[in-house]
Amino acid sequence: MALVKFENIFKIYKTGNIEFPALNDVSFTIDDREFLSIAGPSGSGKTTILNIIGCLDRATSGNFFFNGSDIRSKNENQLAELRKSGIGFIFQTFNLIPIFTAFENVEFPLILKGNMSPGERREKSESILEEVGLKDFLTRKPSELSGGQQQRVSIARALVKGPRLILADEPTANLDSDSGKDVVELMLELNKKMGVTFVFSTHDRMVMDFAERLIMLKDGKIESDKKRG
Amino acid sequence: MKNLIKLGMRNIFRFKKRTFITLSAVSIGLALLIIGITLMNGIDKQSFNNIINSQTSHIKIFKTGYFEEKDELPTDKVLKDCLPFLETLKKIKYIEGIERRILFPCSLINGSDELPCIGAGIETELDPFIFNVKESLVEGEWLEEDEYQIVIGKDFAEDMRLKTGDMVTARMITSKDDENFTWNAMDFEVKGIFETKNPGVDSGYIFLPLKLTREAMSMNSGVTEVVVRLGTLDFDRIQEVKTLIKEEINKSGLDYDVFSWDQLAGDFLAISKMKTKNTAILIMIMLFIASMGIVNTMLMAVLERTREIGMMKALGMNRWEIKKVFLIEGGFIGVFGSLLGCILGGLGGWYMEVYGLTMKSFGKTYQDVVSSIYPVKDTFYADLTFDVLLYTFLLGTLISVAATYYPASRAAKMDPVDALRHF
Repeated sequence: MALVKFENIFKIYKTGNIEFPALNDVSFTIDDREFLSIAGPSGSGKTTILNIIGCLDRATSGNFFFNGSDIRSKNENQLAELRKSGIGFIFQTFNLIPIFTAFENVEFPLILKGNMSPGERREKSESILEEVGLKDFLTRKPSELSGGQQQRVSIARALVKGPRLILADEPTANLDSDSGKDVVELMLELNKKMGVTFVFSTHDRMVMDFAERLIMLKDGKIESDKKRG
Repeated sequence: MKNLIKLGMRNIFRFKKRTFITLSAVSIGLALLIIGITLMNGIDKQSFNNIINSQTSHIKIFKTGYFEEKDELPTDKVLKDCLPFLETLKKIKYIEGIERRILFPCSLINGSDELPCIGAGIETELDPFIFNVKESLVEGEWLEEDEYQIVIGKDFAEDMRLKTGDMVTARMITSKDDENFTWNAMDFEVKGIFETKNPGVDSGYIFLPLKLTREAMSMNSGVTEVVVRLGTLDFDRIQEVKTLIKEEINKSGLDYDVFSWDQLAGDFLAISKMKTKNTAILIMIMLFIASMGIVNTMLMAVLERTREIGMMKALGMNRWEIKKVFLIEGGFIGVFGSLLGCILGGLGGWYMEVYGLTMKSFGKTYQDVVSSIYPVKDTFYADLTFDVLLYTFLLGTLISVAATYYPASRAAKMDPVDALRHF
């Protein structure tokens, strides 16, 4: 069974009387453990697809299944619950809580998820931070970390709750090319090691090259969907 | 919840200056409120004490019909031969002292000037157990029963340029109708000058022995009032004793009426009630201003943290959890602001209770205006109670949380996609 299934998805944004079709009859599936990039020029619908997969936004029409379950029938709280444990997010601008340390930022999703003792949370958060190479930066606040390090914290935060899927919206856009490359390499490593599915949007050719499957979008439609060796 | 509290606590110190300004607005507002309330309560307490200790005592007994005309000081509504009845009252619990008095309209002449006043013929031996006139003497001595002596209020003495040992003539009005009145004049030595701190008494009363007053007013064994002092200040007890006295009056078949001090000081109590209403309005205004500060701070926080709210929603926080984060922050501002306000207000209230607020520095005219409203002179003392601090703390915290509700709801309703796109 596919982890994500899009069936004839349309997404139309309305501004006053003007309608803007962001997605136009998009269908595809994503399987477990894939390392997939959605690419395309600005305005092609990359972020919209990620928002719908991440249950942050709803399609105007069409069917969307996550792990076999029809998302259209779920209410706001059920979607929040789904995001709480099943989906991790990595943002272009990191979106770390500035008053929290790296450790606290990573621990935060576990607090929201509940069912873990403080000791278990500590152990889990520290091991994930070690995994992303930030063992020695636990007590640093985001402002005391470089962009690449902040994105690593962001990856650790997405990973810590053990999701099946991590969505990354232009994860390297705010990083220099070396840091960007490091971040994508780390994501790929974690995909292989932990079996987590990664879906990330980008328009950076270097980042696309890491993807094992590349979906190219243009004007809200899939232009190509290629698996690569 | 513990971690949301931790997050809320850290968030309020995120923008220290803004938090400081909001906390200051809340705490200063509440501190002023506490000082204002304790001062108002203190003035009421002082006023009630002054009224009871120098004018009304706890209970008064009049001839039926006197009370309705009491401001005219009628001398034709007299309690005659009331001693046997008063003996029956002595068995009632809480009664500590009973005194017969004659109040009459009068004027005092010093040789060149004549000023109106209220004359009070008193039982010189008993009066000190009922009223504080004797203990308020600032000059001279207390009255002797058979001597032609008066004691006079300090302000009145100053107006009349009198000092102890001076001789004055009292023109005592013995009876009057709509057009005419009869009077009797007697010469007295000013034996003492008192200052009870009740402006009405200090500037308009003279006290003289009951026996001489009876002679001058041709009242034989009559008096215009009987005053009763109780060993309790409890309002319910006073009403209880009043009922018992009423029962004794009914048993004896006398045409007497009995009144408690709150009825006798009805005019002042009406002013006091009105003042309480005004204070409540003032409290509302101050709390509204303080709450607007909180609303503003929290709206700013929501605006500045829009992307963070989007991120929190992406992490799986639902509307109620987002709302809780902001309500906790508002609650913290409320708790800290109220605590600080209670400390500042408590210190201010304590200072006002110990050292008081002197009116001398406001000038004589202001003092006269204030004295015409409150039976208090020179210095107002606050009455600080734990209740005031507790209720102000709870109210401040509650208002802060309530003021945060709207910004918190706005944050909770944000669309995560829009919030994440916000720059």
